[in-house]
Amino acid sequence: KMEYKLRKAEPRDVSDILRLVKELAKYEEMEHQVTLTEQELLEDGFGDTPFYHCIIAEIQGANSSDEPKVVGFAMYYFTYDPWVGKQLYLEDFYVMDECRGLGIGSEILRHLSNLAMKTRCTGMMFVVAENNEPSVQFYKRRGAEDLSQEEGWRLFRFDKDSLVKMATPPEE
Amino acid sequence: MDFSIRAANLDDCKDIARMIMVSGHVRAHLETDGFSKNPFFHGIIAEVPEQHRTREGHTKIGYALYFYSYSSWKGRSIYMEDLYVMPEFRGKGVGKALMSKVAQLALAAGCHQLNFTVLDWNKPSMDFYLSQGCFDVTSSLGYHCMRCEGEALEHLAQL
Repeated sequence: KMEYKLRKAEPRDVSDILRLVKELAKYEEMEHQVTLTEQELLEDGFGDTPFYHCIIAEIQGANSSDEPKVVGFAMYYFTYDPWVGKQLYLEDFYVMDECRGLGIGSEILRHLSNLAMKTRCTGMMFVVAENNEPSVQFYKRRGAEDLSQEEGWRLFRFDKDSLVKMATPPEE
Repeated sequence: MDFSIRAANLDDCKDIARMIMVSGHVRAHLETDGFSKNPFFHGIIAEVPEQHRTREGHTKIGYALYFYSYSSWKGRSIYMEDLYVMPEFRGKGVGKALMSKVAQLALAAGCHQLNFTVLDWNKPSMDFYLSQGCFDVTSSLGYHCMRCEGEALEHLAQL
């Protein structure tokens, strides 16, 4: 029987966080998009004003002397909708393949939902790729609404190059 | 037409609330959520000089709300929650100037991308944004925006 526990991420976890970020990106066929580094994760998550928070799921090794292994994580931060107030935004949520079916994912979600309510968030938001059937079903089973489908929300993005262009004032 | 863009402060809340068209109750939350010690969002305001004020006497004629977010692929990001220019002041570069300011703030904070949502029936807005060089993540990558709220959220918290 595999024992696991959830805990807040610490600075020493950044290499595991990046490993799991890349595993999830690979599953989404987006591994080449990940340019984030351990150094950025360290500065951005554990400085004076964190840009993100993480919870980690780890399992005990076979022997009590073994190092625990990080097998799942959730990366989140707080967002704001003027109409309904604070939201908890779930950026990444992943459990390693070999550790599925143990309830780790459900436990992470339960922890996050609890945290959302404790911090007076009125909702928890995230994106899912429409062709990721297992995930879409996982969330719909738990009462998530698809705002893109139901209300026509489209996520738009300016990448770095287009941000630089937009930030530069036009020639007089 | 002359206009200026600057950071929003507590005194701007009533104008932001007016432009969002929300009730006084929501406006109170805007004040504490955006202008206390640990704000959950930031604002910028577009203002015109007195001689261009509206019939009702308003000089604050546009705004944008944004906050910092994070991409597990790229790192630091900025999210633009609202962008609005009063109808009679459109077509004069105010929207572009507000977005340009958000882009400058994003780059100054070391951000790699700016995200926001648009409603699919809002063709003028979609066209405007696309002309500024962004791309439609929902269309091109198939990402849907999801939310768990109310009873669903409470239920998840109790499992």
